[in-house]
Amino acid sequence: MTDMANPLNAAVSDGFSDETIRRFLLGSLRASEQPLFEQRLMSDVGLDARMRLIELDLADDYACERMTTSERQLFEQRFLVTADRQRKLRVSELLHDRFSFGGATELAARPETDRGANRLWHFFGLDRLAWRIAFGALILLMLFGTVLLVVKEARLAERITNRIIPKRSAPRSAPREVNHPTNISSPEHSSTPSPMPPHDSATQSVQTVALFPTARDAGKIPVVTLSSGEKDFVRLKLAVTVDQTGPYRAEVLTIGGQSVLAVDRLQGPQFDVDVPMRLLKGGKYQVRLSDARDVSKKEVASYYFLVQ
Amino acid sequence: MSPAKNFQFLKQEDFDRLLAWLDPDPERAGLTYERIRWRLIAILASRGCAIPEELADETIDRVARRVADIRDTYVGDKAIYFLGVMNNVHHEYLKRPKMARPPETVDDVEVKEKTHLCLDKCLDKLTASSRRMIERYYAADKQAKIDLRKQVAAESGVSLNTLRLRALRIREKLQACIEQCLQTEGL
Repeated sequence: MTDMANPLNAAVSDGFSDETIRRFLLGSLRASEQPLFEQRLMSDVGLDARMRLIELDLADDYACERMTTSERQLFEQRFLVTADRQRKLRVSELLHDRFSFGGATELAARPETDRGANRLWHFFGLDRLAWRIAFGALILLMLFGTVLLVVKEARLAERITNRIIPKRSAPRSAPREVNHPTNISSPEHSSTPSPMPPHDSATQSVQTVALFPTARDAGKIPVVTLSSGEKDFVRLKLAVTVDQTGPYRAEVLTIGGQSVLAVDRLQGPQFDVDVPMRLLKGGKYQVRLSDARDVSKKEVASYYFLVQ
Repeated sequence: MSPAKNFQFLKQEDFDRLLAWLDPDPERAGLTYERIRWRLIAILASRGCAIPEELADETIDRVARRVADIRDTYVGDKAIYFLGVMNNVHHEYLKRPKMARPPETVDDVEVKEKTHLCLDKCLDKLTASSRRMIERYYAADKQAKIDLRKQVAAESGVSLNTLRLRALRIREKLQACIEQCLQTEGL
């Protein structure tokens, strides 16, 4: 290749930009530009040398998919018409496939085993865009399938989550170990969620009931609906109208005076008592609130609710 | 295609006369011949010709047959004379009925595997510096590639164009080596 000895002197082939040469090679020069370019190409060694380089760049760009759709079409129809250019493209593809996966420094130090892996990669055609897309689509399909399976099979999902996330210890199930969360919503709010399905005993259902101090024989009192879940409980949110700080002692009693549960130190600002459903039966209950520092004193407030 | 391959289409004396007309030195004449042929092919391809190599060879054949008549009188760049003859050949080609060519496909897994093995062999034949250069030249992509090439050029103390030229030469060696290797493999 003796012309290559000639430096790529812009002065020799001046007048034509790389872009123009590129358009010539892709056959997209304007009709007015073409004859002049052809004349210069036949007699200008510098232009000849630049064109060889740009030919290579085009092959590289095509192999690396760095062309627009229209450029790709022109490349295939106007450029890729000679055996030599097809061979150039093949070498470009080979080199791109082989070396463009990682950085140069990594490549220099890449062990032989990696090259073998690369060969396998090429062998299975994974260097092809179509295969990469197909592989990606397969992964997505598997992902969607898994999600669908988990959504449809709630039990399976539960089993999986129970394995991954250890079961929470049942809160407030022991009468004397009541905690008092500080982020409970306003005491005014009362909701009665639908009962749990009977077959599903592993999940937990909470009913929240706001209680206000009332007389024993008050006409309308809040109602708690019994549920059969082992871990279900009712959260009684006691409205304290006297001293908001406490501490208070709260005792849940049947209307007959039998103690069901007691919480020794209720501290404001929220006064919540969690009562496991399994301790309740149908009937009327009283919550007696007294000063925790001196339980012998008269009760501070009384609350009533009905279980049915 | 080498000049010898076209020889069968020409009389020996016509071909010798052509080379002698191009340059008195046979080696330089051969190189000039290749260069002119390459340019004719590039021009024909750019014009949308589907068989640029065939038309370029036809052009050269015609010029070779006329050299005896023009060599004493022709003045100017000889390459330009080829261009004139090529225009005639191309005009005639445009008048011919077009035949569709089946697209060539090289998706055969075995061919691909052999080609990659040939690439490995040919890469191993390069000098360590050439191999490292070509690896770095083709490493990374997009902006990273541009940056890397600038870095390689700076490290080698050459301009980007010189680097491209070196890559071109290494690639040409690789291409020739791969073709030879594939021929040995029977492909």
